[in-house]
Amino acid sequence: MAGQGIERREVLRVLAIAAGASGYPGFHRWAFACGHGTDAPLQVRPARYTPRFFSAEEYAAIERLAELIIPSDGTPGAREAGVAEFIDFMVASDPGVQFRFRYGLTWLDAYGERLLGRPFRALEQEGQSELLGQLAYRDRHRPGEEEGREFFRLVREYTLMGFYTSKVGLQQLDYPGLRIYGESPGCPHPGDPGHRNLQAPKV
Amino acid sequence: MAPKVFDVIVVGTGAGGGMAIKTLCEAGLTVCALNSGRRLRPAKDFRNHRQPYDMTYRGFGDPRKRDRYYHIENEYSDGLWEHGITYTTAPGTSWEWPRCHAVGGKTNFWGRSAARMGEIDFKAATLDGGYDTDWPVSYVEIAPYYSRVERLIGVASTVQNRPSNPDGEYLPPMKLRCLDHILKGGCDTLGVPYLPDRLAQLTVPHEGHPPCHYCGNCTEGCDTGSFFSTPWFLLPAAEKTGRLELRTNAVARSVLVDEGGRARGVAYVDRETKQEAEVHAKAVVIAASCVESARILLNSRTRDWPNGLANSSGQVGQNLCDHLYGTTGYGYLPQLLGQPSFPDNVSASQVVWMPRWQNLGGAPREKFIRGYSIYPTGGCGEFPWYEKEIEGFGSQLKRDIKRYYPTPVSFYCQIPSLPRRTNRVEIDPEVKDAYGIPVVRVHFQWGPNELLMWEHAKRVTADVIKASGAEVWGAGKEPYTPGWSLHETGTLRMGNDPKHFVTNRFGQTHDVPNLFACDASVFLGCSDKTTTLSILAFSLRTSEYLIERLRTGAL
Repeated sequence: MAGQGIERREVLRVLAIAAGASGYPGFHRWAFACGHGTDAPLQVRPARYTPRFFSAEEYAAIERLAELIIPSDGTPGAREAGVAEFIDFMVASDPGVQFRFRYGLTWLDAYGERLLGRPFRALEQEGQSELLGQLAYRDRHRPGEEEGREFFRLVREYTLMGFYTSKVGLQQLDYPGLRIYGESPGCPHPGDPGHRNLQAPKV
Repeated sequence: MAPKVFDVIVVGTGAGGGMAIKTLCEAGLTVCALNSGRRLRPAKDFRNHRQPYDMTYRGFGDPRKRDRYYHIENEYSDGLWEHGITYTTAPGTSWEWPRCHAVGGKTNFWGRSAARMGEIDFKAATLDGGYDTDWPVSYVEIAPYYSRVERLIGVASTVQNRPSNPDGEYLPPMKLRCLDHILKGGCDTLGVPYLPDRLAQLTVPHEGHPPCHYCGNCTEGCDTGSFFSTPWFLLPAAEKTGRLELRTNAVARSVLVDEGGRARGVAYVDRETKQEAEVHAKAVVIAASCVESARILLNSRTRDWPNGLANSSGQVGQNLCDHLYGTTGYGYLPQLLGQPSFPDNVSASQVVWMPRWQNLGGAPREKFIRGYSIYPTGGCGEFPWYEKEIEGFGSQLKRDIKRYYPTPVSFYCQIPSLPRRTNRVEIDPEVKDAYGIPVVRVHFQWGPNELLMWEHAKRVTADVIKASGAEVWGAGKEPYTPGWSLHETGTLRMGNDPKHFVTNRFGQTHDVPNLFACDASVFLGCSDKTTTLSILAFSLRTSEYLIERLRTGAL
């Protein structure tokens, strides 16, 4: 029987081929947020991104929304993960969803005018959070705002899709897959099958 | 020069075709294998080791194509699923029919659950008081073939001594994860079995194949060949004999028959050039997956066979069965909230199952006849799908998604549909596919028996979640679309009576002695077990029967 070492090398070779074959360069921040094997500091500023679908103003609002949904709050957030670029790219590739985004942004601006006297994009962060709060929580839902809630749901979905498929997002979850394990990973708590006395997690 | 006549043509290179090809070649026969798509190059075509951020659309796929994707299709396997060979559905039928046309077919991406069927399945009709018909084979007869298949492909499990699940020859099982220990506690309380699945995934080196490295994305294709698939486990041995000619992009149109009523070859269309071609042989094995196999025979009409070849019984295309799949419940384990992430989802497979525990003692005790199984899944997956259960935004959302990461669990059922006259395929008289070949029209509805099981499975799942100290988030409202499981069976069922069955107990058609079927089309029903292991075992048996018949001149 061939030794484990040879098989392990074969696995590594395959992994190297797979990594090399991923010819898609990504966008500036994707490449930056996703690059292999570098621990480059996150504050390096990438070149300016030119949106494919959104206007500059719309894009700025998408960036704000993504950052409000997944903030940079001591750990990297949507900004570092390039989520707004992901959303712009996906929406540019998907005629079926473009109107919903464009209409939703317009709705949100009008909503800001109505509630706080200024369009969403012109509000300070506190006002923007206040608006999203109205749309995000079931117990704050009000009749007549269904379109806004639907838009929030859409932006949140795309933000989470973009964030948790980025390198920083997967690192934050500590996604354990796409690694190599020597044996099938079993439960590390043999003395506590009910898992009722696990150590409280560190906050 | 006279055109070459092969010993055998095999249509299809999935589990059934692959096993036939290997067995026939190793017995010294010359084989021409037809596959409707191209060959795979694992390093290039299997993108399973790429992180989502290495994919153009993060693995979600091009939105412009995504609407046409089958549920199993995504950016990782884009281009390998059949969209050129279309099909239609009868009014009232929803049917999803994902087919991988690359060499190896669905074995490239299968779920790897590999349980033996047992006497409880083969004699189901007798046991439940006479619904439909027993299989024409007994477990004792097929058991040695199961053993040989298990030794060849490697199946990890344990000896479980359960009446519905004969034990086989197993590699060491995968270890139970945190979520398994918790859910097993709940199942023990309720008296529901919770056991290692029969998993055709290598936990130790086996027959020259490296063991699994538990990277996760098995269902995007394995580029180390650590679980069974035809290209990794069967075709190399066949090619080594020098007796295999594999013709790719060959879309089979019909089986050709001579004036004496014997199969003489297969007509096919080249997928790329659309040119018609023929290949000739002394015997023909069809193993194109059951609906496609039926379609080929129905499209092989001649003056002598006005209703399709080998169809004197009128049963070609009849009694299509499928597994009813659905999410019977999902929720989370509060015991694991906030725990560090743990590689508990990295086999991307069931690891465990809740094998049939209903109606084990002969006469049915439930409201339904026969039985079903459930597969629990969960753990730290690639994408936090449970985010939909957590409302809000901002730092709190970010913290919650991380806190819940090790906790989600989800259950899906594997419920056999009963054979029924109304579930069947026929040739659509008006529609042709991209290659000019008439397509099938599918008639299929879930029946009351499987819907009773579905309701039962949802109740049990909710009980298991609660008994495990876990919280229920929800359950599927409806089962998935028929066809979803990719476990179709029937259409060329085997039986001793030529008036009621298409093939005999060896998969040889009653009407055309040198025509055989080596896929799940010959199965009487789908039972609560997956199909692949049984396809391999029955194909091995049929292939050896064919070899013997050729050797003795009986063909």
